Amino acid sequence: MTSSLRLRAGIVSIALLAAFLGIWHLATRSTAPVATMSPEYAKLMGLTATQGKSAMPGPLDVGAKLWEHLKRPFYDNGPNDKGLGIQLGYSIARVGMGYLLAVLVAIPLGFLIGMSPLLSKALDPFIQVLKPISPLAWMPLALYTIKDSSISAIFVIFICSIWPMLLNTVFGVASVRKEWINVARTLEVGTLRRAFTVILPAAAPTILTGMRISIGIAWLVIVAAEMLVGGTGIGYFVWNEWNNLSITNVIIAILLIGVVGMLLDQILARFTRMVTFPE
Amino acid sequence: MSMFDNPFDPDRHLRAGCACGQHQSAVEHEQAALRCEPVESEEKRYEGVVASAVMRAMFPQDVARRAFLKSVGASTALAALSQFFPIKAATEVFAQTGAPEKKDLKVGFIPITCATPIIMAAPLGFYAKHGLNVEVVKTAGWAVIRDKTINKEYDAAHMLAPMPIAISLGLGANAIPFAVPAIENINGQGIVLATKHKDKRDPKDWKGMKFAIPFDYSMHNYLLRYYLAEHGIDPDTDVQLRSVPPPEMVANLRADNIDGFLAPDNICQRAIYDGVGFMHLLSKEIWDGHPCCSFAASKEFITTAPNSFAALTRAIVDATAYASKAENRKQIAEAIAPANYINAPVTVLEQVLTGTYADGLGGVKTDAKRVDFDPFPWQSFAVWMLTQMKRWGQIKGDVDYKAVAEQVYLATDTKKLMTEMGLTPPATAYKSFAVMGKNFDPAKPEDYVASFKIRKAS
Amino acid sequence: MTDKFISIEGIAKRYPGASGATTTVFENLWLSMARGEFCCVIGHSGCGKTTVLNILAGLDAPSEGTVIVDGQAISGTSLDRAVIFQSHALLPWRTVLGNVAYAVSSKWRRWDRAKVKAHAQTFIDLVGLSGSEHKRPSELSGGMKQRVGIARALSITPKMMLMDEPFSALDALTRGTLQDEVRRICLETGQTAFMITHDVDEAIYLADKIFLMTNGPGAVLAEVVENPLPRDRGRTDLHRHPLYYALRNHIIDFLVTRSKTFTAEKPDHDPRNVPVVQIGKPGLTIASSGDEQRQTWTPGTSPGLTA
Repeated sequence: MTSSLRLRAGIVSIALLAAFLGIWHLATRSTAPVATMSPEYAKLMGLTATQGKSAMPGPLDVGAKLWEHLKRPFYDNGPNDKGLGIQLGYSIARVGMGYLLAVLVAIPLGFLIGMSPLLSKALDPFIQVLKPISPLAWMPLALYTIKDSSISAIFVIFICSIWPMLLNTVFGVASVRKEWINVARTLEVGTLRRAFTVILPAAAPTILTGMRISIGIAWLVIVAAEMLVGGTGIGYFVWNEWNNLSITNVIIAILLIGVVGMLLDQILARFTRMVTFPE
Repeated sequence: MSMFDNPFDPDRHLRAGCACGQHQSAVEHEQAALRCEPVESEEKRYEGVVASAVMRAMFPQDVARRAFLKSVGASTALAALSQFFPIKAATEVFAQTGAPEKKDLKVGFIPITCATPIIMAAPLGFYAKHGLNVEVVKTAGWAVIRDKTINKEYDAAHMLAPMPIAISLGLGANAIPFAVPAIENINGQGIVLATKHKDKRDPKDWKGMKFAIPFDYSMHNYLLRYYLAEHGIDPDTDVQLRSVPPPEMVANLRADNIDGFLAPDNICQRAIYDGVGFMHLLSKEIWDGHPCCSFAASKEFITTAPNSFAALTRAIVDATAYASKAENRKQIAEAIAPANYINAPVTVLEQVLTGTYADGLGGVKTDAKRVDFDPFPWQSFAVWMLTQMKRWGQIKGDVDYKAVAEQVYLATDTKKLMTEMGLTPPATAYKSFAVMGKNFDPAKPEDYVASFKIRKAS
Repeated sequence: MTDKFISIEGIAKRYPGASGATTTVFENLWLSMARGEFCCVIGHSGCGKTTVLNILAGLDAPSEGTVIVDGQAISGTSLDRAVIFQSHALLPWRTVLGNVAYAVSSKWRRWDRAKVKAHAQTFIDLVGLSGSEHKRPSELSGGMKQRVGIARALSITPKMMLMDEPFSALDALTRGTLQDEVRRICLETGQTAFMITHDVDEAIYLADKIFLMTNGPGAVLAEVVENPLPRDRGRTDLHRHPLYYALRNHIIDFLVTRSKTFTAEKPDHDPRNVPVVQIGKPGLTIASSGDEQRQTWTPGTSPGLTA
């Protein structure tokens, strides 16, 4: 039953994809009327103007270009032109660093706040104000104070991924079942051991959920941040190709951004499943 | 063009400025360019400097020297000269300069043809020749390049000509002293309109239209405002001007979000190449020889690493000299087109650099000076920009035009450097010029500002 | 009653209520238990039974008064007093063995893994869970979960066990079996036990002494009922004991009517000298002074309720 459902769902997925590609292909065929022009003039003009080629690339263009990129993902033609693999690597490294820093700050801090009603009340207004700020709004401030664009990008990742993790940790820690805490208390378990043996495992699913939300946001933000500061990374690649009005490459980058984002999410989802306990 | 010539040219005066640059028409200019034999290598040019010094010592009178050269021919003269004077050895001594304090430098650029000298100096080896290892880094926008240079991520950068002035004055950022040792390019901009406006060629019909400019502190902004105002359109009230990153200009024009733009080149040509607009006017037609972009560094870098800065300036001046030669333009277009540099179709860059271009209306036009390269940082340029900043309300209150211009535009230093390199800089840092037929006297900036009917009330 | 292993001395619990008023759950509560005694508390919800248990456990502190265990006033929790929670409170991310081992390693910090495991296994076997050591709580039935809770409590070899309605969530059959287990284990190990229950039969079956509490707020300990049934009582013939119904009726009567009216009827109730009711032993002195507090019951004469 389930296998047949999966099969049918797969067939529908493929059909949808085929339909999408088909419509895309038809919509981007060269249909625009071509004005007659002298050959000398035509030589100086792009295909859009001379052949009425759509400004939007078709699926075949994208596929061919994608294959080209996949064949050599790690080439390095100098500081401004590197393979997609390298660009993605830079982005993932930035996200990884900012994210890791956020984990290191958010989880201990979340524990403190979650375990202390006083801190929780005292810090709440700050968190509530800081949380809704768009991460990119920090960018100018970061650039101005940190004076280093790659550290600024990492800082922006840090600041955007910290809130979901912090809030989820606080919530997870604060809502650990009282009886579990009581078990630990009747067993005379010290505060630190209690934090690690009871609160952490009990709050882990909530914390991991926060981390999963965070990685998604971080990945969204890095692309935008790299478009702003440039240099390296997949966001820079998008910007660089946009500069050249190469929509084909932009679409490829979008595709890859989606795939990597999904992978990151899946990794966190797997971790979440590992720490989730049925009750 | 004027700065790069040969002391063995009998038709040339050895003192201040050759005929070029002061020509009245493009034709005459062209002829001058043809006459001025380019110097192939720097070594040769240094040789030239030393040789011309020797020549000058031998023939203090220009007339006598020219007569001598005419009678024996340049190469014979040189050969004869080197018989009794070790020109080669002297040249070597001359070419040696202080070792750069910092060899690995980062220079930021915006991917437009204005940055040609900065960019091409890397693939064509001009930085290496001056003992530097320069990484040219593509940057996302003018504000970012400003911040990265202020933050010392870049040692020097490609900036719009008015930007170093604005930064030094603290307009739109904290005041940080910046300096311009070299102008990147002159001309090289254009007004492009959407194809649907091909019958609206008179700016008087442009009321209510939306135009894009790359940055507030840009020659593009000032030239467009100037052009509009001269046609009776108040740029602040009659039209909308929007700061838009250059690549987005083409997309916006295609999407019908703007009616046109005054943009740096390869963007103008790209709009034509993609069939979304046509060239209404080259900026050259507003002001022939106007500065566009500059090569800038912070005063701090200049004082802490003077030799690096000097080497960098030499490399840029050198590259600019190379770029100014029409016959090199095709090669340059190919060198700077890849994704690592400008990332644009070679055809587009070639059209910009060679000046033979499609105008977007079905015609092919030729203007060899569509973009040109001349490094000398005329302080009168800076004064003009300050007058426009004042005119459009970017600066309030009194301006010490001369002081600012001299502080930011390093005409004196560049002049010295150019002389050392065997180039011929102009004798003065101020020249008057005409913008749309209206003369500008750098000595009377306040009168100039006051002379405009359309300006922002201050 | 000379051997006061546990002595609750004049404790009170008050909460700040709305608009500055304080809510008194109970006050001036005195209560004592001997070593090895099994005591049950019966009372309606809200009378503060759980609070008393929590104070005994050290999970809660009294607003007034002290609790003395084995000659020492308690402060906070102790490994000497194990708690079996109503909702079993197993750590769901640990296995059966893991839950018990957690308690064992908390008591004996220096023990190595193998020793902890062996010790835990003994208690898992004791509650009849051999073979389920590696199951997680979610894979266990309610009864099995509570067995784990009991094993965990016993594994630290406490001086007393505190049970907060441990079987209330279980079905009747399982409840019976577990009651047997608990009774057996407590008798074997000589545990002192304090249990809260709503189930009169459970109290009669398990307890040596039954504490009856009036309704809160302002609850008081009304009576201490001594269980007249022999210590070696069996579940099957319990109800055949001649005093069984008298005892049962007395308790039910208290729960149905007197728990509400007690405070009004006995204004001179002395919380320090709570009457001890000894059913079926007429003429025996009660720990308090007044004659009217002496109560004697004979089978079959309970007012209103018949079996």
